[in-house]
Amino acid sequence: MKPAVVDAASTLLAEMKDAASSLTYAALLTDDGFDVARLPGQTDGARFAGMASSMQALGDAVTHELKIGTSEYIIIASGRGHVVQLRVPGKELVLSALFDNDATVGHALATARSFAQKMADLLK
Amino acid sequence: MAEHVILFAGPMGAGKTTAIESLSEIEVVRTEANNSERHIVDKATTTVALDYGEILIGAQEKVRLYGIPGQQRFDFMWTILKKRAKGMVLLVNSDAPDPIGEMTFFLEEFRELYDRGGVVVGITRSDVMPGPALAEFSDALERTNPGLLIPVFTVDPREADQMQNVLLALIANIEMRAAFGMLATTGAS
Amino acid sequence: MTIDIDQVAAKSAPPEFPVTIGWTQAAMAISSVLALNTPVHLRMDIEMHGALLIDFRHHAFSWSTPLEYFPVDAVHTHLETVPTSPDAPPYFELPGQDLDGLLWVMGLNAFGDGAAFWLSPNERYRLIRWPNLTRHSHNMSHVKMIAVLGNANASTAELAAFAGVEEPEAQRLINALSLMGILSRSSEAPAATMAPQTAAAKRQSLFGRLRKRLGR
Repeated sequence: MKPAVVDAASTLLAEMKDAASSLTYAALLTDDGFDVARLPGQTDGARFAGMASSMQALGDAVTHELKIGTSEYIIIASGRGHVVQLRVPGKELVLSALFDNDATVGHALATARSFAQKMADLLK
Repeated sequence: MAEHVILFAGPMGAGKTTAIESLSEIEVVRTEANNSERHIVDKATTTVALDYGEILIGAQEKVRLYGIPGQQRFDFMWTILKKRAKGMVLLVNSDAPDPIGEMTFFLEEFRELYDRGGVVVGITRSDVMPGPALAEFSDALERTNPGLLIPVFTVDPREADQMQNVLLALIANIEMRAAFGMLATTGAS
Repeated sequence: MTIDIDQVAAKSAPPEFPVTIGWTQAAMAISSVLALNTPVHLRMDIEMHGALLIDFRHHAFSWSTPLEYFPVDAVHTHLETVPTSPDAPPYFELPGQDLDGLLWVMGLNAFGDGAAFWLSPNERYRLIRWPNLTRHSHNMSHVKMIAVLGNANASTAELAAFAGVEEPEAQRLINALSLMGILSRSSEAPAATMAPQTAAAKRQSLFGRLRKRLGR
């Protein structure tokens, strides 16, 4: 992964953290599960990147199976937070972010979408 | 519905996805992503979650075929998928840097599938580049796991009849192991 | 000057050799060489099929007839060993064909329905290693029998019973696996028992259902 891309990704995630106080963890990863950049956190970043890419691919497989188009975003809701995950438009990159319950799902999704688009714009 | 789950394991590039496509009667569910490491393994895509195919034996019985992602960073999927399976086809490509090492590694990782049912090893791409002789694979199995009688076949995963032979040999072996009390846990269906 | 064709033919005839030599004797010769590890090559001249050459050191054979067309009733006109040594060149241009392929098909056919001559009555057999079935033309009865032998000691009769096949078919497989050197023999191994419920359900095994489904 080009250093310029890694730098851009890291900067973007830092901005995202500033913009959303409920963001606890976020990562940008390649379609095939490599970690490009991530916020510091307790989790094994490399492992999480692999899992997020599996989730993304399974989401696509489900929408393909049900013939409902492509997967736009995936949400995993739990007692202590929401994982929101979506593709960076036009790129083989995925943004996956964990928000605590201070944010509503809608707000978390809006934040994630906005920054995924920003990432796409940075890479143009 | 009676279900029999067979796992396809082995390193990236061995031909697991291809093998399942040769056997499956349904369109195979694939989870491929573009390979960002072309310089390490020259493959355009790689499986990131699993492959899934089926053979329908009757109205009430099917064989489910699951392929693991070959790369180790997806080993959480290995844990999930190995729980369901009664047997395993271990595919290794002859032109891998260390095919015997790969075979030994995956047999170790998925040893419980041998204990519970059975394993057949398929060496792929031996026409592309000869690699170690078949006897070397058998010898290595005997050294690392003495007493395990694991079939080792050369196989082209694109050929349906060859893959069917591998699958039938696996199932014959699983059933005879059960019949003669060789399995670690009895009553595995 | 006239040339007497018969005279010429008589002079170049091979040495005295019984024309009834066939695969039985060939299998016996091969079995001896393998058992004693004699440093020889083997050459067979087969009527209408040219010479079959075996290089044991390289576990290979050379023959113009493909194994799919193996002539079961072929007449061998000549059989000889050719001494060799570890540093001698190969008998023919390598790689040739894998000797296992020839041993499989020869073993299945060399003794009719009877036991190979080197086998004894009152012995039980156990598989040492699975043959590479992809490379050998085989049927599903072979697969079943090999799976039995991989998991139990069995005489020919017991093998036939466990696998649900006729005894001659079991014998032919024993002959082939033995010639290939992947069968162990024991007169002391005890009888194996097949789990009773499985014996009863033999015809309803998953193997049986799947093979039927796949048209095998």
